[in-house]
Amino acid sequence: MRIAGSHILPVSQERAYALLQDPAVLGKSMPGCDSLEQIGDAQYRMKMKMVLASVSGLFDGTVSIADKSPTSSFRLIVEGTGKIGFMKGDGLLSLVPADGGTNVQYEGSVEIGGTIAAVGQRLLDTTSKMIIKRFFDKLTAEVAAENSTISGTKSGTVTS
Amino acid sequence: MIPQEFEYSAPETLKEAFALIADGDRKILAGGMSLIPLMKLRLAAPEHVVDLGRVPGLNHIGEQGSIIHIGATATHHDLEISPVIRGRCPLLAETASNIGDVQVRNRGTIGGSVAHADPAADYPAALLALEAQIRIASAKSDRTVPASEFFLDPFTTPLEPGEIVVEVLVPCEDGSEGYRYEKLEHPASGFAIVGVAARIKKSGKGISMARIGVTGLGPHAFRALETERLLESGADLAKATATLGDGEEANSDLYASADYRRHLARVHARRAVSVALTRAT
Repeated sequence: MRIAGSHILPVSQERAYALLQDPAVLGKSMPGCDSLEQIGDAQYRMKMKMVLASVSGLFDGTVSIADKSPTSSFRLIVEGTGKIGFMKGDGLLSLVPADGGTNVQYEGSVEIGGTIAAVGQRLLDTTSKMIIKRFFDKLTAEVAAENSTISGTKSGTVTS
Repeated sequence: MIPQEFEYSAPETLKEAFALIADGDRKILAGGMSLIPLMKLRLAAPEHVVDLGRVPGLNHIGEQGSIIHIGATATHHDLEISPVIRGRCPLLAETASNIGDVQVRNRGTIGGSVAHADPAADYPAALLALEAQIRIASAKSDRTVPASEFFLDPFTTPLEPGEIVVEVLVPCEDGSEGYRYEKLEHPASGFAIVGVAARIKKSGKGISMARIGVTGLGPHAFRALETERLLESGADLAKATATLGDGEEANSDLYASADYRRHLARVHARRAVSVALTRAT
């Protein structure tokens, strides 16, 4: 299944590029991500718990970053396997400056298989889109939180 | 397949039910038409299932001051045959009769369907067109949420842990209104590829009120506000429905692509409004 879209992050292109590859930020933003642990250069092991409606499943997987061309694009590959099925997402993220920050455009494919896909075929498209949307919403919230702590620290420095 | 082992409780009051779902990996069972198949496939494996089926009176259907109160465990079949629903809110009865098959309608409940919030369920289209409210309660709270603020995303609602959908509140339809639920049914699942619920009030030759709820097209059911506005301002049917779904993200699956779905939604909206017009007096 093809997936494409875009999302505006309220930070500079350099910052967006760094954030999208920062395991701490990715770990917090990926829906259901329990842990993200570095296992190689730009490669991480991930444990995930997906909960959607009554369905819940644990996934063991990897996240890797490839084809880096700093500050303009890279590929993000997420793979996971669990009892209820498997998934693989492979997307090219391109960053372009935009009003109010950086426009992150993504284009790629998502494959989902196993019981979850056999039963939930009619829902794969809409739920995949929702999970991507949640990722970017969480990421934007992380960025906002970070911005406010930075300004908080600044004001703290002033008072002391 | 046989579900994973789980604990089962059948509380006899809502108060008991609230206490039972207060913590841990608990799942509420109403009609079980979505939960049980998922448990049998082991896609869902809750540790504890709390069955609301034995809470007496939770399946009530009654009218109080031009609002129809429908208890959460009223089945689709209950709604389909209820004289109150058929007489005072026929759009909902027609929608209920379009759900799944006889077996599903006999077991499945309105509260279960609403709380599950499948993006292709039939009720949300009708509940939006009817401007219904969902009453949600927990041990500590009791609140009412309009349908338009309830179906947020696939399987996503404002329900918090510990809360239960206890009632659906539907304003009585005006006897002069026309109504129609039009649906293209998925041949295997019975879910709506698209479903359109319409309510129309006529004044003279024009339309004085149009309410249109659409399910199955996007990530959640929505009101086709632009189409309603165009109909109320005298646009012809073809023109009013031509822009339905513009700006909405459309679902796509093996059965129907996004563009085809959007087209279907417009065709079904046209049909629903035409029939509603002939029923309006």
